[in-house]
Amino acid sequence: MELSRPWQILRDVVAVLVTGLFMFPILWWALTSIKPISAIFDKDRVVFFDFVPTWINYGVTMLGMSRSQLAIDQGIGMGVGGAEAYDSRRSIIDSMVVSVGSTAVTTVIAVLAAYALSRMAFRGRATFLNWVLGQRFMPPIAILIPLVTIYKTAGLRDTDNLYMGYLGLMLIYALINLPIAVLLMKSFFDDVPKDVDEAAMIDGATRIQTFRKVVLPMVKGGVAATAVLCFIFSWTEFLLSLFLTTDIRTVPVKIQTFVTSTGNEWGFIAALGTAAVIPSFIFILLVQRHLVRGLTLGSLKE
Amino acid sequence: MSSDSFTPRHAWLPRWMTSEHPLPWLLPAGALMVVFGIFPLYKAIETSLYKRNAATRKMIFDPTHNWSKVFLDERVWNALLNTLFYTGVALLFQLVLGMLIALLLDSDRKGYGILRAMMTLPLVIPPAVTAMMFLLMLNGSFGVLSRGIIELGLLPPGFSILGNASTAMAGVLLAEIWQWTPFMVLIMLAGLRSLPKEPFEAAAIDGASAFQVFFKLTLPMMSKVIAIAVLIRGIDLLRAFDYVKVMTDSGPGTATETLTSYAGRIYFGNADFPYASTIALLTLVLVIMVSTLFMRIFKVKL
Repeated sequence: MELSRPWQILRDVVAVLVTGLFMFPILWWALTSIKPISAIFDKDRVVFFDFVPTWINYGVTMLGMSRSQLAIDQGIGMGVGGAEAYDSRRSIIDSMVVSVGSTAVTTVIAVLAAYALSRMAFRGRATFLNWVLGQRFMPPIAILIPLVTIYKTAGLRDTDNLYMGYLGLMLIYALINLPIAVLLMKSFFDDVPKDVDEAAMIDGATRIQTFRKVVLPMVKGGVAATAVLCFIFSWTEFLLSLFLTTDIRTVPVKIQTFVTSTGNEWGFIAALGTAAVIPSFIFILLVQRHLVRGLTLGSLKE
Repeated sequence: MSSDSFTPRHAWLPRWMTSEHPLPWLLPAGALMVVFGIFPLYKAIETSLYKRNAATRKMIFDPTHNWSKVFLDERVWNALLNTLFYTGVALLFQLVLGMLIALLLDSDRKGYGILRAMMTLPLVIPPAVTAMMFLLMLNGSFGVLSRGIIELGLLPPGFSILGNASTAMAGVLLAEIWQWTPFMVLIMLAGLRSLPKEPFEAAAIDGASAFQVFFKLTLPMMSKVIAIAVLIRGIDLLRAFDYVKVMTDSGPGTATETLTSYAGRIYFGNADFPYASTIALLTLVLVIMVSTLFMRIFKVKL
């Protein structure tokens, strides 16, 4: 709608303010991560910008620096504590391994299933789709309780074998992401006219050749969008990682360990929290075009 | 003979093992679902039929024990009401705010694209990290939001929003609403952009007011989009766990206890796996019932 000039200016101002309001918690978080401890815990006033920035929180969480040594060097009165508890490099690796692994597994499995669901007519097709969608209705806690026992029996616990632990978490994340991945990929395959397959098969190509050489290259963008969303959802998952693994601590779980009985280490929490969202921010900006379709499990297209 | 060229390449294999048959395509996804989804679900149902003796830790088959206990347990009813309240309030705010912000940001003017992209950022922050962000901002003695509210004279000094039974739910909802309003904004924007232009041009010629256009044209034409957004969000809200777990751990008392967080508390508190499974399954039944009803009434499907 065309607006008169004063109204247009008002709208611009409101739009910026509202967006700013939604950005505020993120900015506050990032700001907290570079604040010295005295500025975070100031009980007399809220400190916005009048503080001397410090990188100690990143040094300790990202580089494994000794917390007490840094405190002495910088003359900041901080409690003395072990550095290991706050060194989060291992957690970032854990999160990366599990997220990348589960993304690879989910994407491959979902692309195969989605192709058949989009292209072939067979009995039980609707039932299969319903079961896939049904996984989305499941509260993770319902399957978590039996899974703990099943993983123990199957040797997928990280306390028995670290690599099997990674595999276990990857596979359960693959299940969690399966509905979104299958339904999203199916919607991308549905966009490709069936004539394309038929033409290739009349020329003598088998199904698998048609899929690999003809259809798959046409949905490359869709595969990438699916993979990115799977990565983000694996990266942000909390409940299953919290209860299913002990040695493997993904970043959202690791952050919770900075909450201690003697007080929360807000500086470290904010530093790791800020670092943890950067990969997601980059990825989400890459798939803006397919975001709506992804978040609605392929129901709505932009 | 020309028919030779149509002979499948692997004629020696039975057809169901070739790519012409859907089975090989669906097998990996199906296997993942059966092993990590359906089998644990079956196990959860089985577990819920046993009675756990807390003293001897023996499991006795008693199919009605948990399922009758669950309906007499006042905490279950409290958790159910909390879950429905949480879902209802969050949906209402997210829907109204989402629509308003989408209308505000739906412009082709320079800069609005950046605002829209920024609006998507909260979506990809791990909910467990979002919960920590709001935990910091709502801290009674140095949280920036708490301090702001106290400074405005709305709450007494030193008031802890999350530590008080009457306000804790509002605090948790604030994090939930902040993180997922952008989801609605995005979907509403996609809906607004897909509307045909002609009816709006006709309305403008007829001199319809902006309110008339919105309620008589925009809203009815967006009904399907809105229904899908509410359905997807509703499914996730009924299963909500992360914010409650991190911010209040269901407290104070049971003020913010939802069905999933109650199940988690029983599981990790008194190790009564059968009863925890029963409550988790009850949540699943609730999700399926509510969403099926919703899909019937509003004639949408995912």
